[in-house]
Amino acid sequence: MIAIGLEGSANKLGVGVISHPPHGKPAQVLSNIRHTFVTPPGEGFLPKDTAKHHRTWVIKLVKQAMKQAGVTIKDIDCICYTKGPGMGAPLQSVAVAARMLSLLWQKDLVGVNHCVGHIEMGREITGAQNPVVLYVSGGNTQVIAYAEQRYRIFGEALDIAVGNCLDRFARTLEISNDPAPGYNIEQLAKKGKVLLDLPYAVKGMDCSFSGILASIDLLAAELKANPGQRDPVTGELITTADLCFSLQETVYAMLVEITERAMAHVGSNQVLIVGGVGCNERLQDMMGIMAKDRGGSVYATDERFAIDNGIMIAHAGLEAYKAGFRTPLEESTCTQRFRTDEVFVKWRD
Amino acid sequence: MEAVHPSSAAPETRVFSPIFKYPSAAAPLLITQGAEALLYRSTYLLPSIPCALKYRPSKPYRHPILDVRLTKHRILSEARVLVKCRREGVPVPAVYALDEAAGWLMIEWIEGEVVKIRLNEWLKSRKEGNVADGVDAGELLDLMTRVGSAVGRMHAIGVVHGDLTTSNLMLCPRSTEGVDGDAEAPKMLDGDIVLIDFGLASQSQADEDRAVDLYVLERAFGSTHPRAESLFGGVLKAYEKSFKGAGVVLKKLEEVRMRGRKRSMLG
Amino acid sequence: MALLQTVHLEHLPQSHAIHVALYQDIKNATFLQQQLLAGNTDFEYALIDAGVIVSKRHAFAAAYRAVNDLLESRLRSRNVHSEIVFSLSPNNNASESFRRFGITPSTTNLLIIKVTTPSSALTASEIQSHLTSSIEGEQVPFEDSILQQLTDVPRVKKIYKLNSNGGGGKKNGQLNGTGGDGLSISRNGEESERKELELLVLGAMALRGVTN
Repeated sequence: MIAIGLEGSANKLGVGVISHPPHGKPAQVLSNIRHTFVTPPGEGFLPKDTAKHHRTWVIKLVKQAMKQAGVTIKDIDCICYTKGPGMGAPLQSVAVAARMLSLLWQKDLVGVNHCVGHIEMGREITGAQNPVVLYVSGGNTQVIAYAEQRYRIFGEALDIAVGNCLDRFARTLEISNDPAPGYNIEQLAKKGKVLLDLPYAVKGMDCSFSGILASIDLLAAELKANPGQRDPVTGELITTADLCFSLQETVYAMLVEITERAMAHVGSNQVLIVGGVGCNERLQDMMGIMAKDRGGSVYATDERFAIDNGIMIAHAGLEAYKAGFRTPLEESTCTQRFRTDEVFVKWRD
Repeated sequence: MEAVHPSSAAPETRVFSPIFKYPSAAAPLLITQGAEALLYRSTYLLPSIPCALKYRPSKPYRHPILDVRLTKHRILSEARVLVKCRREGVPVPAVYALDEAAGWLMIEWIEGEVVKIRLNEWLKSRKEGNVADGVDAGELLDLMTRVGSAVGRMHAIGVVHGDLTTSNLMLCPRSTEGVDGDAEAPKMLDGDIVLIDFGLASQSQADEDRAVDLYVLERAFGSTHPRAESLFGGVLKAYEKSFKGAGVVLKKLEEVRMRGRKRSMLG
Repeated sequence: MALLQTVHLEHLPQSHAIHVALYQDIKNATFLQQQLLAGNTDFEYALIDAGVIVSKRHAFAAAYRAVNDLLESRLRSRNVHSEIVFSLSPNNNASESFRRFGITPSTTNLLIIKVTTPSSALTASEIQSHLTSSIEGEQVPFEDSILQQLTDVPRVKKIYKLNSNGGGGKKNGQLNGTGGDGLSISRNGEESERKELELLVLGAMALRGVTN
C-alpha cells in the first residue's frame, strides 16, 4: 500500500510518499522532500507569510514527490495530511491542498496528528519497540509513553516549547535562521566553555522555559552593553558562544531529567528522540549517557525524519488507514490544538 | 576478544559510587531506585537505630557545575521542608543528618507500609463491586479522613508536596501494647498517616499549587484504586475542615479538574 | 559497668572512637573552662553543659557530625572537640554556640566527649583516669534516664527555637482525624514528648549552615 503525506504545520512544507509492503516488512520511503520558509536573522515566521509560502510551493512539491517516487495516481491508496497541532493558517493551506487532491484523484483522506506522525516515523526508522519518547520541536516539548492504545503524555513544557526558547534566543542574538536557528546555536555552543547560572525549572515531569529565556536574554543584553566581562570563577572572557553553551547545557539537562523520570516511572530503558530539536548532537549525547547509565539506549533519527516532513504524515496516516481509519471530506478540518493523547492508536497492541 | 552481538549482550549492571567511606554494622540495603535518588535502609549513629538514606548520585550527563548545584539544592530543600513540617506538627519523617556535598540525606525510618499496598490488599479482601455500598465502607472512609487531614495540615503551613500519590503516603502502625482486653485484631487500614518523599516538594501558599497536589492525589486514587475512588470525597471533606483557606483550594480544584493538570499547547 | 562509655558510631572509621562521661555537681567548672581557653592540650575534650542535652542520641549526633567534618577536612572551629560543641548549634555562630552549649563557670552537670584518633590514640582507661583526677564531681552513668533529669527543657526549646506554634508540634499533632493521633504522640505521655523534642533538635542541628 502506498500513501502520500502532506505536512505544513509550521514553517516547513513537506511532501512524502511511503510504501508499506505486505507481511509487515519495513516501510519504504519512496520520496521525502521539503521546502523551508526561511526568514531574515532576528525575525520569526508569521502565520500569514508561512501560509503563503506553503500555497506557493505545495503543487510543485507534490508533483516532484510523485515523480521522485516513480508512482502514478492509481498507485496511491490514500492522502494523508496534518490535522494539527500547529499554526492555523499554514495548516489550513495544506489541508485545502489535500482536499483538492482527494477530490481530483478520488482517494480517501486521512487526517494525522503531527506528534503521532513523529513518533511512528521515529519507531519505524530506528526500530525502537516501545520507547519513552521525547518529542522536542519549536512548538512541542513532551515526554510520551505508550499505554493501552494511546500515546500518553507524562510530562511537558508548561509554557513555551524548548525549540521556541532556542529560536527566540537566536533572534535575540540575530543569528541566521538558515538552515535553522537551533542548528546555528548548536554550532556556536560548541565554542562555549563558561557555564553561566540560569534558572533550572523542572517540576516533576514537567518543565518550563520562559524564565530561562528571560534570563539568557538579559545576560545577552548585559554582554552587548558591556563586553569584556569575565567569569568570576575562571577569569575567562564571556562570549556569545558561552551564552549558547549555557543555554543548551541547562535546557537539555532538564529534558534528560524529565525523560529519565518517565523511564523510571514506566520501567522502560529505551528513549526515542523525535522533533527538530532532536537533531541536536549535544542533546543526543546527554540522553545517550543517561540511557547507558540505566542499561538502555537512545534512538534518534537524522534531519530527514526529525525535522518536520511529509513522510511521517504519510507513514502514520497509512497505519491508521490500514486499521480502517478515514477522514470524510466534511470532517477534513484542521485544529491548532490537538493533543497527542487524543488519538486512538488502533494499529498498535 | 570476541565480538558480542549487541542484542545478546548481558544488560549492564549499574555500579554506584559508595555513599560512605566507612562501614556500618550492616551495609545499606537498597529499597527503591528512582530516577533521581536511591533509597536505602541504613543505620544512624548506632546499629540499633534504623534510618532511611536518600542518596542522589551524580548525573554524568549534566555539566559538573550544574550537577553539583542541583544535587546540593535538592538535598537542602528537601531537608528544610521536612524539618519545617515536623516542627509544625505535620507527620513526616524527622531529619537526622545530611551531607549536601556527598549527596545524601538521612531521615527517620518509618515502620509500616505505603497506603497503595494496604489499600489494594484491603480492596482485594472485599467483595467485588463498589465498596462505597459495603458495610465496612466506614473503615475506608476513616482512612480517607486521615489522609485529608494530613494533607490539609501540610498545606496549612505553606508546604506543597509536588508528588502526592498513594505510594507517598504511609500507614504507620500505632503501638499495640495499648489497652488490655483489646482482643480485636488491628484493622488493615488502621494506623497513622505519614507523608513521605518530599523530593519534589516546595514551599508555596498558592491555591493553584495546592489544588494540583489534590488533583494528583485524586488521579492516583482513580488510576490505582478505581474501586475506592468514589470515597475520595472523604479526603476532600476532611481537607476542607483542616485549615482556613481550604475552601478556596477546593474551588480551584474544580478548575484544575476541568482543564487537566496541563494546559493545551500550540503545535 | 564502666561509667565511661566508648562507642564506634555508624559510618565512621573504627579508628575514631567516641568516649563519653557524665558528671553531676561538679565543683571546678571555672578551672576546667580555663584549661580550654588556655589551650591546655591535656584537656582536649568537648565539655558540654548537660543541661542543654536532651538524650544520648543528641550527644552522639553532635560527635558524628564533628568527626565526619574532620574526616572531610571541613572543620569550622579549632579542633574536633570544639567542633562537637559547635555541631550542637542550630546556626553558624560559633562563639555563641560555645556560650550556649559549652562549659561555663556556672555549669554543674557536665557531659564530656573525647574523640580518639590514630594520631591521638588513648585507651579508655587512660581517659578515665585523667578525668577522675581532674574533674571534681560525681560521675554518673551516661544514660537517657539520667540525662533527662538534668535537661533544662525550656532552655533547649528556646535555643532551638521550638517554642513557636505549640512547642514543637506537640498539641497540634492531633491531625489525623478520627481517633488518629499524629505520629508525634502515638505513644502518649512524657516519653513520646521527649522523643519528639529530640527529633526536632536533631533536625535543627542537621540544618545548621543550610539556612544561608
